Amino acid sequence: MAESSVARPFDLIKLNLDEMVQVKLRGNRELVGKLHAYDQHMNMVLGNVTESVTVIDVDLLNHQATGANVVKRNIEMLFVRGDGVILVSPCAHPHDG
Amino acid sequence: MSSLILSEMLNGLVQVITNDGKVFTGRLRGIDQTTNLILENCHERMFSADEGVEEIRHGLYVIRGENVVLVGEIDEAKEEQTDLASVRAEPIMALVH
Amino acid sequence: MFFYSVFKTLVGKTVVVELKNDLAIQGTLVSVDQYLNIKLDHVSAVDPARYPHVATLKNSFIRGSVVRYVHLPASAIDTALLQDATRNEPGNR
Repeated sequence: MAESSVARPFDLIKLNLDEMVQVKLRGNRELVGKLHAYDQHMNMVLGNVTESVTVIDVDLLNHQATGANVVKRNIEMLFVRGDGVILVSPCAHPHDG
Repeated sequence: MSSLILSEMLNGLVQVITNDGKVFTGRLRGIDQTTNLILENCHERMFSADEGVEEIRHGLYVIRGENVVLVGEIDEAKEEQTDLASVRAEPIMALVH
Repeated sequence: MFFYSVFKTLVGKTVVVELKNDLAIQGTLVSVDQYLNIKLDHVSAVDPARYPHVATLKNSFIRGSVVRYVHLPASAIDTALLQDATRNEPGNR
């Protein structure tokens, strides 16, 4: 049986350098941007980022969600601390999602 | 301790913001690598949207490093010009990791 | 130590540190340490009306663990160099 090279998760992230990635963060936040740097903590530098924050509106009396609102903003160059990162995924198209 | 960033602030009048959103002022007397702090003549500042700032005296305080958000040196000239009774602001939010 | 080195190259530049309590502080990067604790000079809150709490501060030490983002000046970043350094960094698995 031929020995296959085991792709570690960080090998997959390395493939995404200079590519557009989607990063899901804690607190209902999502980033889409170009991956310029990362480390083993998943700290990252992203370029031309669009941040999308999903805010859930709640009716305080009924404790029911009445709607969701997405707030977007653009940031030219961003360091992201790794402890907030949930997932990193390549984007099929620029500014996906 | 001289190699720690905080050592530059030792013995200075500082303001500390903690994880729970509290604001303290005092003289910084002790620090260590984990950002544990000793504050002398510590006062807590309570901000409110409806009323002026209320100050509570605490005395000698030890603040555990994992609860520290920010330590800043106070500009005493600016402090003197500030009328805390006229300041209106929501309390700082608690930290969400 | 990778991003520690990156931040050291940005000393003297203006950055915005966004914290996990939503407070965003603009200032000049003065120093950084191995924990990515940051010290800023000439600090001001990005929304000073909402955050008068920090109006009288000369400078600010920010604990690395409370940082959500640091907005960097794009002009100070050589993206090709950063990518190469990332690929070559032995600490990056």
